[in-house]
Amino acid sequence: MRIFSVSHKTAFVVDHCPYMAESSRQLIECDMLTKSRSQGVIPLAPVSKSLWTCAIECSMEYCRILYDVYPTKKLVNYIVSDSEVHILNSWKQENQNTQELMTALAAVGPPNPRQDPECCSVLHGLVAAVESLCKITEYQHESRTTLMDTADRVANRGRIICLTNAKSDTHVRMLEDCVLETIQEQNKRAAGSDRLMPIQQCELVLVHIYPQGEETLVSDRQKKELSSVLSSEVHSVRAGRYLAGKLNVLVQQHFDLASTTITNIPMKEEQHANTSANYDVELLHHRDAHIEFIKTQPSFHCMNTSRDSGLKETVTLKWCTPRTNSVELHYCTGAYRISPVDVNSRPSSCLTNFLLNGRSVLLEQPRKSGSKVISHMLSSHGGEIFLHVLNSTRSTLEDPPSISEGCGGRVTDYRITDFGEFMRENRLTPFPESMVDAACRTPVERAKFQLERHTRYWPMIISQTTIFNMQAVVPLANLIVKDTLTDEDVLTCQKTVYNLVDMERKSDPLPISTAGSRGKGPKRDEQYRIMWNELETLVKAHVGTSERHQRVLDCISACRSKPPEEEERKKRGRKREDKEDKTEKNGKDTEEKGWTTDSERLKGVMEREKDEQSECEIIKDSPDSPEPLNKKPRLATEEQQPPEKSKGPVSLLTLWTNRITQANSRKHQEFAGRLSSVNSKAELYQHLKEENGMDVHENGKATR
Amino acid sequence: MPTAVLLDSSLSMTRPVSVEGSEEFQRKNLAVHGLTMLFEHMATNYRLEFTSLVSFSSLWEVLVPFTRDYNTLQEALNNLEDYDKTCLEAALQGVSNIVQQEWGTSCPCQVVLVTDGALGIGRGSLRHSLQTVKQRVEDKKFPLPFPFPSKLYVMCIANAEELQATDSMDNLEQLINLNGGEGQIYTMEGPLCLKSVQSMFGKLIDQAYSPFHAVLRCGNLTSDVQVFPRPEPVTIDEEVDPMPRTVQTEGDEIGTGATDDTEEETSTNQMAGKSPNFCVLLHGSLKVEGMVALVQLGPDWFGMLYSQADSKKKSNLMMSLFEPGSEPLPWLGRISQLGPASDAAENPYGEDDSKSPFPIQPKHKRSYAQNVTVWIKASGLQTDVQKILRNARKLPEKTQTFYKELNRLRKAALAFGFWELLKSMAELLERECTLLSDSAHPDAAFQLSHAAQQLKLASSGDSKYAAYEHNITPMLTDFSGGGGAHRI
Repeated sequence: MRIFSVSHKTAFVVDHCPYMAESSRQLIECDMLTKSRSQGVIPLAPVSKSLWTCAIECSMEYCRILYDVYPTKKLVNYIVSDSEVHILNSWKQENQNTQELMTALAAVGPPNPRQDPECCSVLHGLVAAVESLCKITEYQHESRTTLMDTADRVANRGRIICLTNAKSDTHVRMLEDCVLETIQEQNKRAAGSDRLMPIQQCELVLVHIYPQGEETLVSDRQKKELSSVLSSEVHSVRAGRYLAGKLNVLVQQHFDLASTTITNIPMKEEQHANTSANYDVELLHHRDAHIEFIKTQPSFHCMNTSRDSGLKETVTLKWCTPRTNSVELHYCTGAYRISPVDVNSRPSSCLTNFLLNGRSVLLEQPRKSGSKVISHMLSSHGGEIFLHVLNSTRSTLEDPPSISEGCGGRVTDYRITDFGEFMRENRLTPFPESMVDAACRTPVERAKFQLERHTRYWPMIISQTTIFNMQAVVPLANLIVKDTLTDEDVLTCQKTVYNLVDMERKSDPLPISTAGSRGKGPKRDEQYRIMWNELETLVKAHVGTSERHQRVLDCISACRSKPPEEEERKKRGRKREDKEDKTEKNGKDTEEKGWTTDSERLKGVMEREKDEQSECEIIKDSPDSPEPLNKKPRLATEEQQPPEKSKGPVSLLTLWTNRITQANSRKHQEFAGRLSSVNSKAELYQHLKEENGMDVHENGKATR
Repeated sequence: MPTAVLLDSSLSMTRPVSVEGSEEFQRKNLAVHGLTMLFEHMATNYRLEFTSLVSFSSLWEVLVPFTRDYNTLQEALNNLEDYDKTCLEAALQGVSNIVQQEWGTSCPCQVVLVTDGALGIGRGSLRHSLQTVKQRVEDKKFPLPFPFPSKLYVMCIANAEELQATDSMDNLEQLINLNGGEGQIYTMEGPLCLKSVQSMFGKLIDQAYSPFHAVLRCGNLTSDVQVFPRPEPVTIDEEVDPMPRTVQTEGDEIGTGATDDTEEETSTNQMAGKSPNFCVLLHGSLKVEGMVALVQLGPDWFGMLYSQADSKKKSNLMMSLFEPGSEPLPWLGRISQLGPASDAAENPYGEDDSKSPFPIQPKHKRSYAQNVTVWIKASGLQTDVQKILRNARKLPEKTQTFYKELNRLRKAALAFGFWELLKSMAELLERECTLLSDSAHPDAAFQLSHAAQQLKLASSGDSKYAAYEHNITPMLTDFSGGGGAHRI
């Protein structure tokens, strides 16, 4: 795909000279008398369009299809030529719509048959078209600016479609020569300008229009290279529906379009509301929507010649009764904009309105036998209809593994609802282009920044958190993640803290998770300590955001409970440290001291519950719960370091087991094997080695 | 992406290789050894990918249809038989057919051809095929380039010198060129032995079968992920932007929105373990809320994550890649302009979640969404004229519709320079006026002659009456006084 192919710029040059006012001689009966009223009334003479009218409506149809399928990046410059040049729009994207062109065309009006034919010519328009093709479009400009050093990769190509009534083949040659000369001239000029680009490739499409019933004076000619820059082709076409057919074929060739005919569309009859008949609607879209047909079956069997559009082929697909099941969407491999060929016919508008109202239609390949193959779907998004290509063969995505088979799939207490709420709070919405915030961040950068803030402290599972399971914390938790806090927000946070203090004073229970464990869990004051720690972690993560965030932390630090037995614990801690000084002096820092006292305190907790407790209980890891000291057996050798010292929190079970082991070890004499063990592992049958003189380690079993 | 392994089973594959120990190897054994290594690698790192095994000589045969069962593939390798001469063209055509039958033409596929580089003699040899490649009729085309996006890897159980001694290397290079340069030839370095075949297949694995590991990031929440199938680099515009874009391994989740369309799917799958994983959390919430998450894959390249259920029980996190670009889905607008909904003055989703800022409507409606006028077919014009006449007969009840249709016709006629139609329409309205029955409402006659007169003025081209934006408005009449004075 190349953005700046010949199709990027199309200049329409329409002849507005007096001879274009001539009638096309295609008569249209617009006085359709009904039987009951026809008596005594002379029907009105049929009307006929001028060559000009034919040229305009067919070129407008070309533009309509083009804009439907390519709303951006494919640009039209519309030029009308008589004694002077009327340029009806510019390359600007905002000028690219048929309404604006229609308004401009109405201002030009039909050709004036009384104008002096001597000073009128389509040449003025062709010169203007070449000049226009040299003008840089906003897309070319943008690409050149972003590419900087490699700006020369941005090509300038274009197409001129000239609708005229030529006198002869010689006249046609004269027009071609004129375009060629002008390109050479303009390219020289463009080379020295910033806003102009030399034309690298130009396709001239000359369409000679002549009235019906006349012999053509101009012969058709296939595309021919006139120079390295210019190629030209000549189409000699009768005005009226032949011209329409020709431009329809051209728009398809020029913009890689293909045609699909939807067949078997059931529609209620206008006259008989209870009967329905089947209709066909032909749509145009990018050729890639047919890629599967083109590649697999060069002579695809549902390709046939459409009656309306002459030579071109259409793929017929059958309408399937609409379903709302959206499973098919997952196998969609592409979506292409469509344009109906016969936009305001009744079947067309019925189909498009049906789709615009939010319904989808599945399309089936007509087959004489075998199972039905659904290969496409029509559906609209935001007022635009797309032809979706569905994968009708086997998918490489079939039978995917369940997410529960993967990492973390066995964990059952994810905060699914909370994260859903989180996602809703972080939903995206479009902002106007001009809206940039003070730090010059684009909206999407702000969104990422917000995600960063909101996830600074976000425990993923319920048993990892206390505060997010508490209604009372919600006001603070919602506010603290904000980029800026008002004084009022700070007040709300402080109130939340006071409320928690109050709860603690009243000894309200906290939702500490005891999931998966038996027993009561930690004592109340311990619960509050865990809660306060977690709250502090949350607020600390945001303390750098602003001074007001700091104030919230200050408030917590000031208000949170100081356990009454703290002094006593300190004393005990000191004693214990003295006792264990020998074994634990290596590599102890203050942080560890902090949680040594904590684990001491836990020990107290456990001792009180010792009697009633025959089985161990588990507290799920809490992020801020201190990492307890990995107690070694008393008799372990001094060199041994606690192996899991820095490997994250230790469960209460481990604490408890360690403690029991410790206590028990004092009551009996240690096994000889354990005494001589390395890493709590002792080698069995050591004597065998000596006796056999063989290294038992060889077979690996003894050491593992 | 699926792999089709095309294994040469011609007699030349049984040629022994120079001995390096007590055991004697055939080239076939080396090929099997290499493929075993590839299958083992895939079974561990690529277990969601499909592979098929085809053997060929003068004929070809599917030994194992596309499967994820690498044991079956291995088993087939262990039970190979030897056949006659090498006819590569027929075999490539066979592979092309089985891939298309299974996956269609849009699914990319890798073809691994394992051969000793003896590419046959006479008719059916690769040399012969390549010499006649330009003289084919439509239904006997050379199978390359494959109709599906493909990479053709040629694994030669031969070293480069051996291949260059004949024209084998040239022919194989021509083969890759015929496939649009998509593919590569691997040869063995040094003596033909197990070690060199391992190193050759090792290179193939690094090139084409390296697993895609990435980190999915949502602010500070992250998860290591592996993506199946591996997202391949994409070239957007070979002229302006010729470098292919690759998916960055840091996927940045940038927020959530509600949309419902996909371009290309890959499933994100996690590695084993039991600690909480962000992917599982995200998947669960996306599923429950029915939302999708937007994910950034590189500069101006986006995709989306959502929960996809294969059956009622099994669902997984799926990532769909959009076409690279700043505005991949028109109804989402430019992705860089999507910001947090909380920044908006008013919640765009509504307080009760009843609204959505999506889809974004295009600036200009498409032709089928506006009431365009097309008279290319006579019937289009006739319908419009009849519509006006029908309403004309129901005046004054249908005054509004009558003028609306009249103005639509007037505008189109002016734009198309079709003044003759305006005159004819005027005459038709005047005639309607004369045909009014006695019981007709007096207002009808006034409106009809007023409309006719206005059309005539417009058809004169007088700028005062023929302005495109001008609308003919109903004549103000006053019948409230019981049919008395008329105000004109």
